Formats: sequence, structure tokens, C-alpha cells
Amino acid sequence: MRKCSLVLFAAWLFLVFGALTGRVNAQSLDEIHKAAVKEGGTLNFYGTLAQVNAERILPVFEKRFPGIKVNHVDATSDKLVARAVTEARGGRTLADVLQIPLENVSQAYDQKLLLETKLPESAAYPEGMKGSFWTASDLQFFVAAWNTNLVKKEEEPKSYDDFLHPRWKGRLIAEPRDLEMLLAFAKYRFKSDEKAIEFWKKIAAQNVEFHKGHSQLAELLVAGQAAACLTCYSHHYPSRIKKGAPLNYMLTEGVASINATAIFKDAPHPKTALLFARWIASEEGQKVMAKGGRTPAHPKVEPVDKTRTEKIYAISVADLKEFPKYEKIWKEIFRLR
Amino acid sequence: MSTVALPRSERTGFRLLREPALMIPIVGAGVLIYLAVLPLFMLVYGSFEKEIAPREFVVTLENYVNAYASPYTYSTFVNSIIFATGSAALTFLLGTMLAWLTERTNTPLRSLFVPIAVVPLILPGVLESIAWIFLLSPKFGYLNVALQSLFGLESPPFNVFSLPGMIWVHSVGQVPLAFLLMVAAFKSMDPSLEESAMMSGANTWQTFHRVTFRLLMPTTASVLLILFVRTLESFETPALIGIPARIYVYTSEIYLAFNEYPPDYGRGAALAVGLLLLSAIGVWLYTRSTGESKKYQTVTGKAFRPRQFDLGPWKWVGFSFLMVYFVFVVLMPFLVLFWASFLPFFATPGWDALDKLSFDNYRYLVGFRPFWDALQNSIILATSTATVAMILTSLIAWIVYKSRLPGSWLLDFLAFIPITVPGIVMGMALILLYVAFPLPIYGTIWLLMIAYVTRYMPYGMRAASGAIVQIHSELEEAASASGASWWETFKRVTLPLLRPGIAAGWIYICIVSFREFSTSVLLATGESRVLSILLFTMFEQGQVTVVAAIGMLMILVLLIIVGIFYRISGRFGIQT
Repeated sequence: MRKCSLVLFAAWLFLVFGALTGRVNAQSLDEIHKAAVKEGGTLNFYGTLAQVNAERILPVFEKRFPGIKVNHVDATSDKLVARAVTEARGGRTLADVLQIPLENVSQAYDQKLLLETKLPESAAYPEGMKGSFWTASDLQFFVAAWNTNLVKKEEEPKSYDDFLHPRWKGRLIAEPRDLEMLLAFAKYRFKSDEKAIEFWKKIAAQNVEFHKGHSQLAELLVAGQAAACLTCYSHHYPSRIKKGAPLNYMLTEGVASINATAIFKDAPHPKTALLFARWIASEEGQKVMAKGGRTPAHPKVEPVDKTRTEKIYAISVADLKEFPKYEKIWKEIFRLR
Repeated sequence: MSTVALPRSERTGFRLLREPALMIPIVGAGVLIYLAVLPLFMLVYGSFEKEIAPREFVVTLENYVNAYASPYTYSTFVNSIIFATGSAALTFLLGTMLAWLTERTNTPLRSLFVPIAVVPLILPGVLESIAWIFLLSPKFGYLNVALQSLFGLESPPFNVFSLPGMIWVHSVGQVPLAFLLMVAAFKSMDPSLEESAMMSGANTWQTFHRVTFRLLMPTTASVLLILFVRTLESFETPALIGIPARIYVYTSEIYLAFNEYPPDYGRGAALAVGLLLLSAIGVWLYTRSTGESKKYQTVTGKAFRPRQFDLGPWKWVGFSFLMVYFVFVVLMPFLVLFWASFLPFFATPGWDALDKLSFDNYRYLVGFRPFWDALQNSIILATSTATVAMILTSLIAWIVYKSRLPGSWLLDFLAFIPITVPGIVMGMALILLYVAFPLPIYGTIWLLMIAYVTRYMPYGMRAASGAIVQIHSELEEAASASGASWWETFKRVTLPLLRPGIAAGWIYICIVSFREFSTSVLLATGESRVLSILLFTMFEQGQVTVVAAIGMLMILVLLIIVGIFYRISGRFGIQT
């Protein structure tokens, strides 16, 4: 009985606390929109959304909230964090919103650049898809993909194990920074560091060629630079295949990682930043994300393109702390700098 | 006498207030120190600062230790030296061959090749690199694929993602410069020395070897030196080919120090200071060597026309060389970009690619806002940079060469400093300076304009001072004797006379600003993005065929600028 009332009390406290903190953000999007326009109507958006996705997502936001223009600063995630850090160093914050892979978002957090906030929309997300300073914007799946001109139908891989076959020697490409593969294989596929390391060492013996940037990997694959890619993003493929590119990708298993949205602590346009962060986390925004070719993070929104794998090895927030450890091993396995 | 000779009665009291002309050198020096010296000061200062916690700094020497005693120091140094030496040598060889064949031999159709050899000058370095990746990439490069199927080769003959690949790509982009410098050298050679050799029984080869070649030695040394320095400073090939191939040189190390997490400005700045010193030594040696070249003077008051070597049947070999150069080095990069701009994605050539050709990429660009923003930025920047730089440098050149005010040599020196500053170093120095600057121009195109004006000031100075020294002071004296103030004299006499030189400088700065990459890569963000940077990011993102389409439009704009230049050059009497 006593235990029960304690739980009830805790629940009540939680609700009251949630209502109080939620109140700050509980304004409707339209109210925030008005305030955002008054701020100047600009959103400085530091995000890794590729142009092909961005052009189907950001204009929808601009149309939905007239008077606001998105200034999309796009680069790879480490460049964006580096830029934000540089700007902070000069005592200046130019960016409003950051939307990049979670591990890079937490780097920016370590640099004390991000705002701790709880968006009302994040209530719909399960634990592990939100944190004190971020909300998941979409998921990305690291999968294997191949060039159908260079890979015979009967040789198409069904699982990662197939890539150990000698026929792949010298025909594989990958991204040098994708240590997530090693981490997820160690924790969720093999559930053993040794086995995962052994597996990737065997892959390394196939002479993998490394190129930076996942979009570029996809493009290199289309052009025939390699027969297959080991660490490509699944969302890069449907649109290219539609255009007639000789590509296919493996949806049997893959590694999932989180892209997250965060607001800068000293954002020059705080209301606009809040507006965007809330909208992109809402069901409405997530549907736009899906239409833009991404894999939405919202539990109620389904992806439009086939981007989710059957077996998912999902990187969790707790895994982020172990990135340095696996990064070191990953670099050693492939002799990367 | 000088133009700012003041009436004696006024030379007392508040001279500065009464004669604004005296303010000009002071203001000029101030502007130059602000543009050329302040950023470098920040850079050196930044190289001694280390961030121990977010936004907490200590002064230390550690950055230099990190930069010059790391396991990568040696490989970076060796790569840079091989890259710069190889490029200088290859560029020089190709440029000299072209210049010699077109200027001094009877190779058929040689005069036709003179403009052709200069054409690659308009191809921006970023595009040059992209085009050669399309041609020489080991697996899908068109040349590799073609050669493999022609000769049934097992493996691709070329790999652009290597040091030789980088040397090749950078060199072919620089050949026009070497060509122009060597043409000038060949043109100004007195043929009587060669004729004497021939009279004494030497054959063509012996004459070339013993006389022509030796006379060219000092020019050779200085041209090689300038090519070496320019390669060391370049970032296009190191960025597009070197970084993917994991072949790092100084410029790419500096770039990565800024663009990888955690950014290490201290190490970047320490590396930048080193590169700056190397380049400054190079420029110093260059100015010394050109200064000493008087010993080898070959131009005299005598009227002469350089004689032509009769190559005999070899002239057809020369002709083949020119043709091969034209087809492979000038035409092919253009063609491959042109072809790719009609493809939906990059594909190896073949009949099946033909039905994929469409205008989709161009149609896509019509509604692609970042393209229009970048185009607008590039055009505004190119024209405003050229205008500001030419106004500034013609005023400074006038002070330096005409006013004879004490200390005016200092202005000349200050305006020359930026030539020693590699583009990426300039970008880094300006970030360090302006990110914390009270003037809110960081992140706007005005910061880029300041960067470009600073970088191209030395070129403006050269164009303006070349024009100014030719104006005899009698003309200005006549004006001031007739009662004109210094400003009227400048406006009504000096300026009109300067116009051809200034116009030439304006066009040159306009073109180089439009193509600029290595400074912009650190400074341009979001709304201040320019075309060369848009090309780079979109290429990194894999939209390679759209990049080709943007490239074609960019070349078109540059051709229009050059076209306008040729049209007006007649009117202003510019010698091209």
C-alpha cells in the first residue's frame, strides 16, 4: 500500500513537473511562428541533410511558416561541429539549429554549445530516441550496396558474411569513419568484441578502398569504382535506382544510428530555432522527412522509401561513450589515420 | 618636382588639415596594415594559443611540437616537396615546349596554338581536378576504360588518386602560366647570339643546347621557383584528389586541422606559419633572381625579330606534340565535363549511356536556389573585389611612384606582403581575426571581399604601378601649375591616363576572384557560399553530374567576362 502511494506521488510529481516545464514550450507552433518572424525570419540551419533530401524538406518548412527563410549551412558533420566550435571560440554563435549524427551532436554538447530543453513533441518518442539536449530527427541505416553491372545476380550478397568470399577481394569500398559498423557488430551481431574484430580483420584482408562521404560512396558505386560498398546509407539508394542507376542494396541486416536535432544555447534566433526543432519532431515534420527520402524517427511515421533493414543493430545512446575505444580498433584494423 | 609640392606659405601650422594629400599616405598605410599585417599577426598569435577547456586558452609552444614533431610531419613534408617539385618541373617542361614550338620554330599552324595554350587559364582549379578524376579514376575514368578495352589491359594504366596523379592534374592547370612566362622570355631574346653559333657551324640542337638554353637559365630558375611556390600554396588538387587518396600536403593538413573534430587551430596556425615562411623565402628568392637577371640581358635598343629554328622533318613531330597536347590536355577536360553534365549519374561511356542523356541537370539548376545564390555572390564578389582593389592600389601606386613622400616605400612593401600568403593561410588568419571582431562581417560575403582584395592587391599594384611609372610628371605638373588641386590633378589627368592599365588589372582580378577556392573554402558558409565552394560541397555529396552542369555555366560566365574584356580592350588601348 505504502509503496503504491509512493509510486502515485512520484507520478503526480512527474506530471506537475512535466506540465510546468512543458508550459514554456507548450505554445502552439503558430504562436512561435509569429515570434520567429519578429526575430528576423532567418533560420541558420547547420545540418548534414544532403541537397537531394534538403530540397524536399526545407522548402516545405518555409512554405508552412511564411516569412522564414532557411539558411542551410551544409557540410559533413565533423566540419559543421568544427565550424560551430570555431565560431564559439570567437564569442559568437551564428547557428540556430544543429541536425547531424548523434555522436557529433554530443561533441557539440561537450563544447557547451547546446541548449538543454524538452520539446512537447518528444513525448511521443521512446527512450533512447531523445535526450536532455536532443531529439531524434531520423535514422540512418548502414547497409551493403552493389553495382548490378559488376555483380552477377547469383553472387548478390544476402548477409555481411558473404563478403568474406574471395571474389570480393579488391572490389569493396567503405567510409573511413564508420566505426559504428564495428561497434554494432561487436555489441549486437556477434555480442563479442573478439568475434567482431576477427570478422572485420577478414574484411580488411579483402583490401577495402576508403572514400570519405556516403553520398560520394554511392556515386562511386554507380560509376563502377567498386563492385560493392560495405558502409553505405540505405536512404541514398531508392532515388538513384529510380533514375535508372545500376544499383541494388541489402536490406537483410544493417546498423542503425540516430540523427538528432538540437538547439544552440546562444542561438541568434531562439524562437525560430525552437519552431524548427518542434516542427521537425512533430508527426507533420516527420512525414515531410519521410517524403524527403529519410527514415523518420517518430514511432508513428513510416518511411516512404525502403530504407529499414530486417535485422537492425541499433547504436544506443549509451554506446556513444564507447566510440573512442572502437574508433581506435577500427583504425588499427584498416590502418586508417 | 613632385605633384604634391605645396606653396611655401602653406607649409606651416596644421599641414595635415590644410593639405589632405598628406593624409593619404597615412590613411593608405593604415588600410594596408589592417588588410595585410593584422591577419598575419593574429595567425602568429593563434599559433601560440592552446584551448585547454572550451573557450579557455593558454599560451604555449605545444602547437609547434604537435605540428612539427608528429608521426605525420615527415610524410607531409615529403609529399609537399615531391608534389611541388614534380609539378614545377612538369609544368615548366610542358610550358617551355609549347612556348618554344609556337614562338621559335617553323612548326605548322603554330600561331593557332598560342590562344589554345592559354585557354585552360579560365578552367577553375576545382573543375580541372574534377574533370581529371572523370578521366583518370582507376576504375571508371574514361581514359582508363578506353585504354583497357583498346589494348586488353588487365589493370587500369593510370590512377589519378596518387602523387603522380596530383602532379599531373595540378601541372596541366598551371601550364598556361609557364607558357606565358616562357613566351615572354623567348620573344625578348636577341637572335644574333644564336646566329653567331650557327655561323660557327653549330647545328640546330647544338645551338639550342649551348646558346638558347643557357641564355634562358636565369628565367628558368625564376619560373621554376614561382611554380614551386604556387604549387606549395595550392589547395584544389590536394583537396579533391589528395584527401580522398589520403595523400596529405601542408595545405590539406591546415584545412583538416580546422575541419575535423576537435578542431585544432593552434596546430593549424603553427603549420600555416611554417608554410608562410616557406613561401616567403620562395618569393624573396624569386624577386632576387629576377632582380639579378640584368646580367643576362638580351634585349637591347636594337630592333630585332627572334629567328626561327628550322626543324626540318622534325616539325611534324612538333606539330604532333601540339595536337596531342591540344586534344588531351585542353579539349578532353572540357569535353568530359560537357558530356557528364547531360548524364543522370556518372557512367562509363557506352551506347547505353546515349539514351540517358538529357537536360535534366540544367533544368534542375533552374529551380535550385543554392546555385543562384552562389552565382550572385560570385558575381558581386568578383566585380566589387576588382573595383575596390584597383581603386586602392592605383591610389597607393600613385603615392609610391609620384608623391615622393618620405616612407612611401613602406606602402609598396606592405601592398606586396599578401603575395607571400597562401590562400588557405589567409582564410585561416581571417577566421581567427574576424570571428571575434566587433565588425559583424564574419559569415557574410564582405569578409570574402576583404580576403580577396588583400590577396589580389599585389596584382593590382603591378597593373597600376606599371601604368603610373609611364606617365611623365610634366603632365601632372602642368595641371598643378594651372591651379588644379591634387585631387583634380589625380581625377582629370592621372586617372584617365591610367585607365588602360587599371582596366587590365580589373579584369584579371575579376577572373581570379570568380575562380577563387582556397581562401573561400574556410570563409564561405551558407549564404556567403560562392560557386567554387558549391561545386566542392556538391561534389563531396556525390551530385557529380550536376556539378558538371554548374561547371559548364561557370565556364560560360568566365568566357563572357573575357569576351567583354576583348571588346573593351580596343577602346582603352590595352595591350593583351
